[in-house]
Amino acid sequence: MRSRTPVLLLAPGLILLLAGFLIPSIAMLFSPPGVAPAEIFVRFGEMLTDPYDLRIIGRTVGIGLIVTLVCVVLGFPIAYLLARSTSRWSGVLLALAIFPLLLSNVVRTFGWLVVLGANGAIGQLLTGLGLVDRAPQLLYTELAIVLGLTQLFLPLAIISCYSAVAQVDPGLDDAARGLGASRTRTFWSIVIPLSSPGIVVAATLVFAGSVTAYTTPYLLGGSSQRMLSTQLFSYSSVTIDWASASATALIMTLLVFLISGLSSLVARKGAIA
Amino acid sequence: MKTRRPVAGALAVAGYIIMIVPILFVVATAFTAGETLRFPPQGLSLRWFEAALSYDPFIGALVSSLQLAVLATVIALLVGIPATLAIYRGKIPGKGLVEGLFLSPLIVPELVVGLALYQQLMIGLKLDNFETLLIGHTVLMLPYAVRVTGASLALADPALEEAARGLGASPLRAFFTVTLPMLRPGIFSAGLLSFVTSFNNVPLSLLLQSRDFRTLPVTMLDYVQQSYDPMVAAMATLILAGTVVIAIIAERTVGFARIFGGINR
Repeated sequence: MRSRTPVLLLAPGLILLLAGFLIPSIAMLFSPPGVAPAEIFVRFGEMLTDPYDLRIIGRTVGIGLIVTLVCVVLGFPIAYLLARSTSRWSGVLLALAIFPLLLSNVVRTFGWLVVLGANGAIGQLLTGLGLVDRAPQLLYTELAIVLGLTQLFLPLAIISCYSAVAQVDPGLDDAARGLGASRTRTFWSIVIPLSSPGIVVAATLVFAGSVTAYTTPYLLGGSSQRMLSTQLFSYSSVTIDWASASATALIMTLLVFLISGLSSLVARKGAIA
Repeated sequence: MKTRRPVAGALAVAGYIIMIVPILFVVATAFTAGETLRFPPQGLSLRWFEAALSYDPFIGALVSSLQLAVLATVIALLVGIPATLAIYRGKIPGKGLVEGLFLSPLIVPELVVGLALYQQLMIGLKLDNFETLLIGHTVLMLPYAVRVTGASLALADPALEEAARGLGASPLRAFFTVTLPMLRPGIFSAGLLSFVTSFNNVPLSLLLQSRDFRTLPVTMLDYVQQSYDPMVAAMATLILAGTVVIAIIAERTVGFARIFGGINR
């Protein structure tokens, strides 16, 4: 390639990224219309001390951590069984685990309204069996958000773990078993440590996705279980409070950067050890 | 699968239930003859499918979503493929930085990008909402175009293009007759991934909506908030059917797991 060609090839993309992403994002975070940059940092500071805002931040981070844990605990075994299975069904099951990634979040989350709603499947089942008089409130709870986000991000966790487990030589399992290790011991001291990079990737993707997701907290949490994302939407489209919107956006972005930084730190340490 | 690992097996079953069962409930309620989203459904009918397909806001939004997804995908590929060539084949200074910049829309929360474009482009520069949506969706698709076609490019041997040039082909001819055909699976995967991502997007489309131009997922979210009837279940089932068709196309061409999971089997 001649020396000027690459610049010409890159130019449209660079212009698009600068004008349609980078500059607007920085402008929004630090100088929204009619707001002095200092006001954003004041709001940012207030949010970290105000009990109402802190509860929303705490709920967002807490739900993010729980969903991450659940997705790894459920996703790793699926990835492990699929990677080690020789059954011809494993291809079908893998496709079934990846397929939801293609499907609209609105469609997937809507399913929980049918399952958890006042006239939903679980409520009808419990009252039908006479276990309870009145269907319990399941929708618009933190549990509903956790279930919805787990459904949304489990496929990502499975894929990340699968790529890692598939690279661990099954011969190592056999060797450990041959040397007298139990199945459980082999799993914890061979399989898990060797596929830990995949687990770190899975945890990072799930946490970052959970603390920024909008559809799920909106449909399943409602206005009683606000998270940073639903709060951000309300600041920017309902109350039009640019300073608060920017401060919330800043907190959300920092959370994602923090987890990404943490994960690359863990990955690097793992590479040395 | 053998059940010699009972704990792992039980966790796996729980995982599949959470991933799949809610989707089955959507389909089941879509075929109800009753008035509400009650489970079990009362009677079997196609009335809610009829209702969804004759409800103008849904059909209008479906057309809008398709227009936006097709246009954004085409632009992202037209802009992204040349950039991919420059990043991975050209000798450019600061290659890592440029690559990072093209992938950066992936790490900033979509809702934050949506707010930025709404405030700075739609309100600040007074762009109309379709233009802003198109810019936003294209920017979100660029990382896929660069990463997925980049992976294809890594598999293509540069010696082949050099051989074509040595035999007298012009750089353009060598690109179109040698390199481009090798990139075809990557471009196809990137296109499919972009289309699906754009069609399903909520955060950007939500913040950048207007009365004249709204996408289908946003219109459905709005409808759920107002009324609790099975029409949304019917529309959701139609989207599910469309998605299954796309998945089958992907499986028959490049391989489903490879496109969407980056898994080589």
